[in-house]
Amino acid sequence: MIMAPRKAREREMLVESMYSVIALLFVLVTCVELCDGATVVDVYRLIQYDMAGVPFGSRLASLNHHAASLHFSPHADLSRTVLMIPLRELNMSFVKEYIVERKPLGGLLFLLPQMFNLENKGGMRINHQDDGKEPLKDVLAELEQTLIHSNVPTCTLLQYPVYFAFENDNIHAVLTDIKKNDATGQPATATTGGYKFVVSAPEPKKVVSPTITNIQGWLAGQKTDDDASQLPTIAIVASYDTFGAAPALSVGSDSSGSGVVALLEVARLFSLLYSNPKTRGHYNLLFGLTSGGPYNYNGTRKWLRSFDQRLRESIDYAICLNGIGSWENDLWIHVSKPPENAYIKQIFEDFSSVAEELGFKVNLKHKKINISNPRVAWEHEQFSRLRVTAATLSEHSTAPELLERTGGLVDSRHFVNEAAVVRSVKLIAESLARHIYRHQGKNIQVFADNSSLEVNPSYIQSWLDVLSQTPRVAPFMLKDDPFVMALKKELEDHTDEVNLQRDVLDGMFTFYDSTRAMLNVYQVASVTFDLLLLLVLGSYLIVLFSFLVITTRGLDDLISLFRRPPSRKVKTA
Amino acid sequence: MTLFHFFNCAILTFGPHAVYYSATPLSEYDTLGTSIKAAVVYLATALVKLVCLATFLKVSESDSFDPYQECLKALIGFIDVAGLYFALTQLTHRNISQNHKFQAVGLGWAFADSVLHRLAPLWVGARGLEFTWDYILQGLEANANLVLSISLAALGSLMWLRKNKPRTLIPIIYLCAGIVATMPSITSYMRRGLGWHLPKVVGFELFTSLAMALISWQLFAACQRPSA
Repeated sequence: MIMAPRKAREREMLVESMYSVIALLFVLVTCVELCDGATVVDVYRLIQYDMAGVPFGSRLASLNHHAASLHFSPHADLSRTVLMIPLRELNMSFVKEYIVERKPLGGLLFLLPQMFNLENKGGMRINHQDDGKEPLKDVLAELEQTLIHSNVPTCTLLQYPVYFAFENDNIHAVLTDIKKNDATGQPATATTGGYKFVVSAPEPKKVVSPTITNIQGWLAGQKTDDDASQLPTIAIVASYDTFGAAPALSVGSDSSGSGVVALLEVARLFSLLYSNPKTRGHYNLLFGLTSGGPYNYNGTRKWLRSFDQRLRESIDYAICLNGIGSWENDLWIHVSKPPENAYIKQIFEDFSSVAEELGFKVNLKHKKINISNPRVAWEHEQFSRLRVTAATLSEHSTAPELLERTGGLVDSRHFVNEAAVVRSVKLIAESLARHIYRHQGKNIQVFADNSSLEVNPSYIQSWLDVLSQTPRVAPFMLKDDPFVMALKKELEDHTDEVNLQRDVLDGMFTFYDSTRAMLNVYQVASVTFDLLLLLVLGSYLIVLFSFLVITTRGLDDLISLFRRPPSRKVKTA
Repeated sequence: MTLFHFFNCAILTFGPHAVYYSATPLSEYDTLGTSIKAAVVYLATALVKLVCLATFLKVSESDSFDPYQECLKALIGFIDVAGLYFALTQLTHRNISQNHKFQAVGLGWAFADSVLHRLAPLWVGARGLEFTWDYILQGLEANANLVLSISLAALGSLMWLRKNKPRTLIPIIYLCAGIVATMPSITSYMRRGLGWHLPKVVGFELFTSLAMALISWQLFAACQRPSA
């Protein structure tokens, strides 16, 4: 009588506990996909874009292959293997062979030294002088150019994903293991085990109508009473966006970054001068931060076309800033008009006299523009095409090719020298001041050190740091990108009037998204190992079974078990 | 391929229980009911244990070894022994001999333990792409646990069910039972107090479980003799 309720209670308890166990199981099963990565690495995808309909870059994003190092055996089939290549071990013949000639690969993962890491702020000034960074830089620059667009007639269209990652201890451990594995002569495939790299990313999608945003700041000059006509304007322009092999790593500290910083500092200095009516010059100052720089200065073009005729004609000249952060003794002024032109002569004289006082040299370089050629190598050429006198100040003596020197992987904070930027700013500000206040020929330092108008190195440094941590590839920037808003706010602080101009990036480029991803590194066992394990476990269970039968029932039972299975029933009965 | 690995680990974890049941006379006397009852008692005991642990133990942020807490944990661990006592003495069984009863109870106990503690981690972990030795070691641990559970059940049945055992053996039986019952605390101390790695701990567990099994077997045999 007592038994029945107790049994019922037991059953109830069992059912209850089963429910909780099942619920727990479901919770765990849902967790499975989230938390099973051994090592997770941030990876940055190679850019994928179409230029005039021709596809460039890597076309895939998702990855699920075994890993190998550069020590793979020469006859191995690599079409299902991810090659993991540290930049230090990269030789260009390999790149030529695999990337240019398009041999099949499962994927590529390039490991970049930490000095190219945009988040690595602390270490860069400490080992600024270390040797061996220049060769690495050259290798990376060559690799980047090869990846972005090859020099050979056939374009590089990579039918496998290419990723960049930064070296760290975890990835080093993985690499050492893989090398060891490769050294034994067995490439890692599904049958030998090793490491598996998995990136689960959706199919890259086209970026619909990429926008470019130009920022314009206006600092009005002092009108004299007797002069009714419009004041002349001087424009200072810098392009702020970048382009590189990995869009999420294209911070462009020098190319575009240093120019932006110099522009902001010049704006700050002149805002101090212009805030006082006594020192307000008789020139308007126009500051332009333009986008679309890597794409033939598309943004500059749009910006200039949006000007009304009167403003455009009032521009005395425009100074464009491009790459002024890592030079030693020479700067170049690039112009499109012949050097004999009066305005050009004037600009050059202003700059070279100031440079002489500061102890370096400024050279003039003339390059004619060909209107029929769509390529615009320097920003000032967009001005020249609209018959506005303009010059580009740059540390480079030669014009870049399309998508070259646009602030890619190589262009890290590590290689930019704040002192160079400070000197550039001094040069620009001082020569502008001489032009505005007509001090030509007189040795007057407006922005002398230790005065209230001193160039501020910490301002320059902090902006350089910000720029060096912000990828600025225009098509991947948000509509109201916080960085653009920050630039706008900074210019608002220094100028009277700031405008944003948004436009669509013109035609011939198409970009694809998915620029960064997470790489899961799994250590996997091979199928042969699993088979072997099964064999061992099976024999273990058989031995256990035999042992138990012999000890509990005797050897004869075991033998009879195999000989006459039905006899067992007879025996027990 | 990963399912294969899961399958392997599952064989290692749960296979010995099945083999033990089918190889020994347990299967001939149809003691499955007893085993299931023991498993249910295990579940109830585990619940009680959880409640006790939750009530009396502080949650330590660090993974360090705190002797006071560990003592408390060991004490709570003795609830297991109470559960086993209940399973061995209070549960009504069909007329099976003491000999088979403790085996069936120990088997059910160990199987329930394996299912509760190891199935979910196995399902979650061994199916993942990442390969580790952990789940194979865990399977070996399940084997050691099976041996220990049966030894404990054997010693329990000696303590509580057998009346006419030799007087000289009683302290030894109690000592052995005590050692076997505190085994989880000992391994926990090794893992966290001494910082042993899993392979070493599992090796120790396998070794001690075999040693304890041998001792309890001898004790059982020694108690069997006078009555026979």
